Amino acid sequence: MRHLQRVPISILLSCSLVLWAAVGERLCAEESSYLESVLREAHQIALHQDRYWHILLHYKKGLFGTRSLIDDPRFFLAKDGKYNPEAELDAFIRAIFSNEIKDGKPAACKFVARYEWIKERLRLDMSRIPGPECKNFNEPIKSFDSLLDEMQPESVTLVFPDAHINSPASMFGHTLLVIETASKSKLLAHAVNYAAATQETFGPLYAVKGLFGFYKGYFSMLPYYGKLQEYGDIDRRDIWEYPLNLTKDETKRLLMHLYELDNIYSYYYFFDENCSYDLLFLLEAARPSLNLTDEQHMWVIPLDTVKDVVKEGITLGTEYRPSQTTKIQHLASLMSEEQQVKALELAKGELEPDRILEQGISRDEKIRIYDLSIEYLQYLHTRKQVTTDAYVERFLKILRARSTLGGQDKEEYAVPVPPRPDQGHGSSRIGFAAGSKAGSPFQEISYRPVYHSLLDNGKGYREGAQIIFADTALRYYSQDNKLKLESLDFINIVSLAPRDLFFKPISWMVDTGLTQRIMNDGKDHMIAQLNPAGGFSWKNSFLGLYYFMIGSSLNVGGALTNDYALGAGASAGLIRSITDFWKIHLYAKDIYYGVGDEYNYFEAGLMQNLILSTNSSISLGVTRSKTLSFYQTEVKCGVNFYF
Amino acid sequence: MKKLLFLLLVGFMVIGFSTALFADQKNYGCGLGSMAFEGNDGLISQISAATTNGTSGNQTFGITSGTSNCTQYETWTSNEKVNVFVTDNMDSLAKDIAKGKGEHLDTLASLMNIPQKDRAAFNSKLQKNFSRIYPFGDVTAMEVIRNIEAVISST
Repeated sequence: MRHLQRVPISILLSCSLVLWAAVGERLCAEESSYLESVLREAHQIALHQDRYWHILLHYKKGLFGTRSLIDDPRFFLAKDGKYNPEAELDAFIRAIFSNEIKDGKPAACKFVARYEWIKERLRLDMSRIPGPECKNFNEPIKSFDSLLDEMQPESVTLVFPDAHINSPASMFGHTLLVIETASKSKLLAHAVNYAAATQETFGPLYAVKGLFGFYKGYFSMLPYYGKLQEYGDIDRRDIWEYPLNLTKDETKRLLMHLYELDNIYSYYYFFDENCSYDLLFLLEAARPSLNLTDEQHMWVIPLDTVKDVVKEGITLGTEYRPSQTTKIQHLASLMSEEQQVKALELAKGELEPDRILEQGISRDEKIRIYDLSIEYLQYLHTRKQVTTDAYVERFLKILRARSTLGGQDKEEYAVPVPPRPDQGHGSSRIGFAAGSKAGSPFQEISYRPVYHSLLDNGKGYREGAQIIFADTALRYYSQDNKLKLESLDFINIVSLAPRDLFFKPISWMVDTGLTQRIMNDGKDHMIAQLNPAGGFSWKNSFLGLYYFMIGSSLNVGGALTNDYALGAGASAGLIRSITDFWKIHLYAKDIYYGVGDEYNYFEAGLMQNLILSTNSSISLGVTRSKTLSFYQTEVKCGVNFYF
Repeated sequence: MKKLLFLLLVGFMVIGFSTALFADQKNYGCGLGSMAFEGNDGLISQISAATTNGTSGNQTFGITSGTSNCTQYETWTSNEKVNVFVTDNMDSLAKDIAKGKGEHLDTLASLMNIPQKDRAAFNSKLQKNFSRIYPFGDVTAMEVIRNIEAVISST
């Protein structure tokens, strides 16, 4: 009240001040009244609720209201910008007018996509605003315009490096975007990657920190050839390219948003806020009608994001780039064993390269021997099985001999294109089954959120690789009228990489989870187990993929006399496709527990899967096991749906 | 005795898995046989590489990278982009030149502004002169560029 009484005096005072300052400060006053009117308009149309603003700021609605998924405070101008889209918008509009310097440059020069969008949406009259001058403020980070000039972006491709043959963990794959330029050379395109930044070399810590958001994720941009070397030559992963139908303008918008994200971090979470998820914001920024970041997956699996993008209808076919390993296998398949051995000897330095030239074989055959040996020598080098000095010397000698033979025009080197990974079965599975265990009938329902087992339809997946998380089976035994948890596989990974003339990988498996096992009282009890194993596998047309492994096993459970049992044993089996739609897995394993409880467990089984369609199958299984002196037979038949 | 055997076996498994934990050092360089990236064969490192997609260190937003340790020079055909490309792709380019074709050779030709109609001649000329372009093992990227220039300007 007292305050109001003073008003007339202050009005008088300010009126005279305004009169005085009117001429000199005219621009300033006009600007600030323009600012007020712009802010008013933004509020009137509730611009802060616009979807594009939420895309650019990565706002998502959660249990506790709206928040941005970006964690770097430098991404926001308002103090509570991470949680308050409206305050952030106001702060940004003010920053446009004041040319506020943020990290060494005007905010409008850093947040170019926001700036362009607001300018357009609010039809800003740029003659009334002191526009920012976006120079190359602090090299090497260029101004957006000079970056655009240099890059000349034209189009975008989504890239999916497929699973690594001997690392089922890589089955989750990875996705990156490639910005193609006016130069038309794919190799020189720019690969946009989102990854956790870490110097950690201690494996387990690295994995745990990656899972729980201890690392900061950053975007980076590298020449695509570097990524091709990394994934194709060194990691031995086939690469799938999905060109997108984004226009040049949309590509520019994508780059604008990427520019805003440069050197900005979010905490990296392996399961959801990962490499694949964050890239989707770039696509939405390019074309806001896309709806990719709201897709509800329990876990963001890179392959699922590829499927989502395909579903949006923005892909223009696919291109396949076989890895070096795939090329070696294909090339070898075109040659006789004798010639394969020659290539092997060349790569290992056991045969002088010039000796091939003297042989009485055709020019094409000589070329194939050299070409295979070159690829294989590079493979040996990346695996550190040959020193760099020896590699360089051998490499040049072979290439010199090869260069005397001229070109190879045939297209036989083109590796046949396998089924597309996005056309494989869905990554979650639900199953309904009925059967009998030790004469007691049961009905079972099972759910497996992730991902692929050896018996599932192999189309689009790596052969011999299995990765299962949280596979849960509930059973109802009608005789005892009991519902019980039959098994829970937390993790079950199998990597069967067949050995041949060129590759001698180790196959391995590890599974951990809960299962039912007969104990001394002759009844089933739940135990926890951890079973790692390693061994070899091979492949031939008669047996299919077959393996032999030795391993250890740890059981923990209250029903065990000593609460635990530690043992070792062996397993063997074969996986074969009888026809396109019929797959079998025949196996046996034998484990002797000698520390803690002492007992023997033996199990043999025949599992079969009949594929009905991409996303459905019928499974049939028979297992016979012996625990202590108790024999048990289980027969089960069920139907599975993938989604 | 039996227990000892079990413990040995179990211990062996543990050691086997944990030796796979330690990541290899990266090997950057300018010549043949140097790689921008190094592979990892370890079990856990594969898994952990998959959890974070394993990029170590920050890559800044510079458009080009990878030549920081290598000397560069400018000549009539070469420019910054040729230098960087040849440096980063020494082995792949050598392979393409020896074979007389390939994606890396095409890219080099386009960076050197070789017209499409002259590409076949360019490729076969480089192939025939492979030994001149790569005379010895520790040839540097800059020498390779110089040698390529010498080959195409010779008649």
